[in-house]
Amino acid sequence: MIYLFQLVNGIGLGMLYFLLAVGLSIIFGLLHFVNFAHGAFYLLGAYLAYDMIERGLNFWAGLVLAPLVVAALAALTEIVLLRRIYHLPHTFHILVTVGLALMVQELVIILWGPVGGNVSPPEALSGVVMLGDFIYPQYRLFVIVFTMVLALGLWWLLEGTRLGAVVRAGSESTDMVSLLGIDILKVNTAVFALGAGLAGLAGSLAAPIRGVEPFMGVEALGIAFVVVVIGGMGSYTGALVAGLLVGIVQSIMTTLWPEGARLMIYLGMGLVILTMPRGLLGRA
Amino acid sequence: MNRSSLHFILAAIVAVALPLFMRSGTLASEVLIYAMAASACNLLLGYTGLLSFGQGIFFGLGSYVVGLTLLHTPLPLGLAILFSIVIGALVATGVGWLSIRRQGVYFVMLTLAFSQFFYFLAYTFKDITGGDNGLLNIPRPDVGPLVLRSSWAYYAFIAIIFLLIFATLQRVASSTFGRTLLAIRDNEERARAIGFPVRTFKITAFAISGAVTGLAGALHALLIGVAPLSNIDYHMSESILIMTIIGGTGNLFASVLGAGFYVIVSDLLSTIWPRWLLLLGGLLVVVALFMQQGLWGLLERIILALRPASRTAAGKEPGRSPL
Repeated sequence: MIYLFQLVNGIGLGMLYFLLAVGLSIIFGLLHFVNFAHGAFYLLGAYLAYDMIERGLNFWAGLVLAPLVVAALAALTEIVLLRRIYHLPHTFHILVTVGLALMVQELVIILWGPVGGNVSPPEALSGVVMLGDFIYPQYRLFVIVFTMVLALGLWWLLEGTRLGAVVRAGSESTDMVSLLGIDILKVNTAVFALGAGLAGLAGSLAAPIRGVEPFMGVEALGIAFVVVVIGGMGSYTGALVAGLLVGIVQSIMTTLWPEGARLMIYLGMGLVILTMPRGLLGRA
Repeated sequence: MNRSSLHFILAAIVAVALPLFMRSGTLASEVLIYAMAASACNLLLGYTGLLSFGQGIFFGLGSYVVGLTLLHTPLPLGLAILFSIVIGALVATGVGWLSIRRQGVYFVMLTLAFSQFFYFLAYTFKDITGGDNGLLNIPRPDVGPLVLRSSWAYYAFIAIIFLLIFATLQRVASSTFGRTLLAIRDNEERARAIGFPVRTFKITAFAISGAVTGLAGALHALLIGVAPLSNIDYHMSESILIMTIIGGTGNLFASVLGAGFYVIVSDLLSTIWPRWLLLLGGLLVVVALFMQQGLWGLLERIILALRPASRTAAGKEPGRSPL
């Protein structure tokens, strides 16, 4: 029973990892830009939700508003700063986004202190679900269902809409997309905001499960990289499969060897690289 | 006088001048320790084109190995440091071997993921590493007749090692091996087509870089008497990389500048304001936007502006810098 519990936990965790990684992945796919500030957007999403709820705002309003604020801030950053450095080598992309991540982390400490805090789930979801012997917290179940619906919506957005078509075409050749009369600058901003917003949403959703602390951004960045390396960059399915895999492995290991749970996911990554250098589903 | 000897003399001047300008032997020692780590990082970034986010792994392991050897065996300091160098080289070989299976950004992400792996390794095996508290009470025994207990005596010891390492890295960089690294950096396909074993060269560069970084980590643990968990975490890799890029990647002395700037400025700022990393983050953005050649490039521009005569000389010979 404990394993079933951890398996379901792992699915929830894995779906959050998927949200993180798919954001990183679509940003890279279109902009060819490694976003080391991705963890900072996750951090910001968690803290904004925490702050809004602390101020007495309804949980659901916080869950919607916090990622939107993150997306808006990301769009602003893209327009003011990142747009100017796309033409530079990767080293400078990394330098700028590492700088941004440091600034966000320190700002979080200045605004909310170094200790962190807890977020209680909304009252409607603070109980447990009982299925025979199986008892599970309602909020965690909600996260699983919600992220799955979101994953479907995202898949539709990327595969079934005009924006998705532009993003996929832009991943192949941004010049060609511009020549077709599409304002690629706006698409860039929209995609960056979407990716960052997804990271922010993952943070907001995770806050009631794991609490908030200023260094959760770095950890999330490491995990997002692992998921992308395992799943293959630019692959929606890869991010989903790898996210779930990493989440489930981490959860199950928490029962078997609590201290080594996070160690195992990095070990797993090493094994995947050793056997499949392109990742599970990566193309290039 | 060629550029390489000039840079060595500049490094020697730094090593001699630090005690004259700095009140704390510990801080001066830190400058040279990080100068070694940044130069090793530069060998990968500037000379081989490999942006490694995993230098903290080798630094941290160097700290742990020297600490564990001195705490649990009667072996002398020299051997303990040698172990750190060897472990640094071996682990760097492994990390390099795995990471260079992917290129570009994937490579960077892999090195970062490995740095997380080793962090959690150190964190998980608390019995060996001391976990969050770090490995405490590392002694600093004498080396033969050399008594290293005072911070300035230890500084002198580090300064000699630093100059030896700097000269060695310079030799490596200017050797056929180093030239081949540059060829790989500039055009990997071509280097491979000519018949160079590109993978072996990259892994060797990693091993050298890991050895020097392991040494720097060992010297750091001996300096503060602790091998803290922070020596192996993400921020150590990040700091070493930042020093290297801030200094500039064109030559090895630039890394000494970068390390000196980072250590001294962060020491000053951190006494004024605990949240100084906010300013550092802003500085990184400024460097990327306006100072892409780093401090070294800035210095070159200033010297060019001050010596109008050399501007024409530089104009005649494109690509030659004034220093």
